[in-house]
Amino acid sequence: MRLAALWRTSPKLLAGFAILIFFFVIAFIHPFIVDAIGRGQNPLAIGAYPAWLMPSSTHLLGTDRYGRDLMAMTVTGLWASLQVGVMAGVFSTFIGILIGFTAGFKGGKVDAILSTTTDMFLVIPFFPLLILLSAYTRNTTLWQVALMLTAFSWPFAARTIRAQVLSLRSRPYVDLARANKMTDMEIIFQELVPNMLPYIGVGLANASLGAIFALVGIEVIGLGPSGAIDLGLMIAWAVAWGSMSLGAWPLFVAPVTVLSLLFMAVNLINVGLEETYNPRLRRVAGA
Amino acid sequence: LASSATTLSPSQVGRLRAPGPRAWLAKHPYVAYAIRRFLIFLVTLWGALTVAFLFYRLVPGDPIQSYITSLEQVGIYNVEASKEALEHYRRVFGLEGNLLQQYLFYLNQLFIQRDLGPALINYPTSAQVGIVRALPWTIGLLGLSAVFAFVLGVLLGGVVGWLRGRWAAEWLTNVSVALSHVPFYFVGLMLVFLFAYRLNWFPSSAAYNPAYERGFNLDFILSVIRHGTLPALSIVIIGVMNWLISTRMLIVPTLGEDYLTYAEAKGLSPRRILTSYALRNAYLPQVTAFGISLGGIFNGNVIVEQLFNYPGLGALLVQAVGVLDFNTIQGIVAMTIVVVLTANLIIDLILPLLDPRVKYWR
Repeated sequence: MRLAALWRTSPKLLAGFAILIFFFVIAFIHPFIVDAIGRGQNPLAIGAYPAWLMPSSTHLLGTDRYGRDLMAMTVTGLWASLQVGVMAGVFSTFIGILIGFTAGFKGGKVDAILSTTTDMFLVIPFFPLLILLSAYTRNTTLWQVALMLTAFSWPFAARTIRAQVLSLRSRPYVDLARANKMTDMEIIFQELVPNMLPYIGVGLANASLGAIFALVGIEVIGLGPSGAIDLGLMIAWAVAWGSMSLGAWPLFVAPVTVLSLLFMAVNLINVGLEETYNPRLRRVAGA
Repeated sequence: LASSATTLSPSQVGRLRAPGPRAWLAKHPYVAYAIRRFLIFLVTLWGALTVAFLFYRLVPGDPIQSYITSLEQVGIYNVEASKEALEHYRRVFGLEGNLLQQYLFYLNQLFIQRDLGPALINYPTSAQVGIVRALPWTIGLLGLSAVFAFVLGVLLGGVVGWLRGRWAAEWLTNVSVALSHVPFYFVGLMLVFLFAYRLNWFPSSAAYNPAYERGFNLDFILSVIRHGTLPALSIVIIGVMNWLISTRMLIVPTLGEDYLTYAEAKGLSPRRILTSYALRNAYLPQVTAFGISLGGIFNGNVIVEQLFNYPGLGALLVQAVGVLDFNTIQGIVAMTIVVVLTANLIIDLILPLLDPRVKYWR
């Protein structure tokens, strides 16, 4: 009933959520999918099947250079990619909330210093530094990579949250809260944060995707965490093994499609929320 | 930046009639704004370069030690010589002394000597030689495609907004909404696979065919264009989609405004109304956004160049990181910071002259 209402007001929002939830479920149950593909043996073991098989009914996406099943690899990689993305997204959103709220709500000198610092971080081309960092830290875990990515993605979160706080803090209900002698912290957590949850959610999703995207970038260059297969590593292998000239398209088409659909889902949610919460924009931001 | 730019204004108002430079500045608000904006530029530049410096030093490991170790591994091994070499390289690369001394060395290198020091990938040639050699390729590829994507995206965004409700316009918008955040190199991968390996229309790597002599001859120029098409397309396609969506968002709310109705009533052609009335109001904020987006475009470009084996800054950077060539890495990062900040400065300085509505100097 409510789903139907949501579908009518914003099909984009619903479609975006559906895609996102679908991939999270797939990632979450990936051990079962891998088992089902392997039927007792490990489909990700080297030499499990003949190499470079094309998609068929037994191997939906074929196999790679070492005869590993690509379907099993994609779902396993999706889990690893989502883990890194969500971790980095949560960390950077947390820092972004802290800095964005302080800057936007306090205003004045505090805001000037915090915003200038944020702007400084924004213009630093973070990708070269990220490459450098991963070149030094060869044997990193997914956790460490997530922390590294956080160091560069928090400014985006901080900036959008600050802008939003600036527009909210002069609303009448904040004045009312002030008149009721609520403290700054109370106003932030009881009045502002609840009103901004959709934006924070979108920011979190964007930061997570940004982290996944940056990680894929590092891996395409041949760096990145060791010991875990993720979607970026599959693309890196496709490039390194010349699977494009071999015509072995599933190795890069599978991860690129999955990642693109994830980007699309978050974008749809983004636009959908904007339309739902800002009725003036409805039918504007791509009807 | 805009908020801190206005902090001086109350005192100026008070001193409007007092003699001296402040009164002069109060009468010339644009000059006052330009000076403030330039000071902010200097502070941001210093801050960004310092953050980058601290970042290099925070990175665990010792680049010189690993360089010597890699030399030792290829056979040149002598404990005494290694020690001497280590000290020599430390001095040359500015890794001697405490953090402050290293910092001063870094700033001195960047601003006073304007020499980045020797590059490890090409020792003892200075790092900027390699950078200067790579720069034209990146500017040509990235600069041209970024500007082209911007112009095309803003125009298309205007048209799509103008024709909202028509199925073709809506279709284009929805495709753009879906794909606009896909990274450049995804598109690059697909383009290489389809057009270079499958259809064989374009070459898959390098910037030109080495068979032709470099210079102003038709063969060479055509070869550069042929090689540049796919990497440029991968940047342009995603760029156009981004600018299309944001321009459409800016233009649709203005379509109901009185001045557009008036323009229509005057009997102007729809094309004239779109370009001189509707787009004119929408493109200025987009110019600011363009400046801000430059840094991000460079990030994506690094992988595109790597993917296409394009001899620009991105590929050089990856090569330098491979051997931990600090001077080259520092040089590329510093250069990108300077270019992005300068571009933003220029845009911010020109914008108030173009747009009478922008009053930065309230």
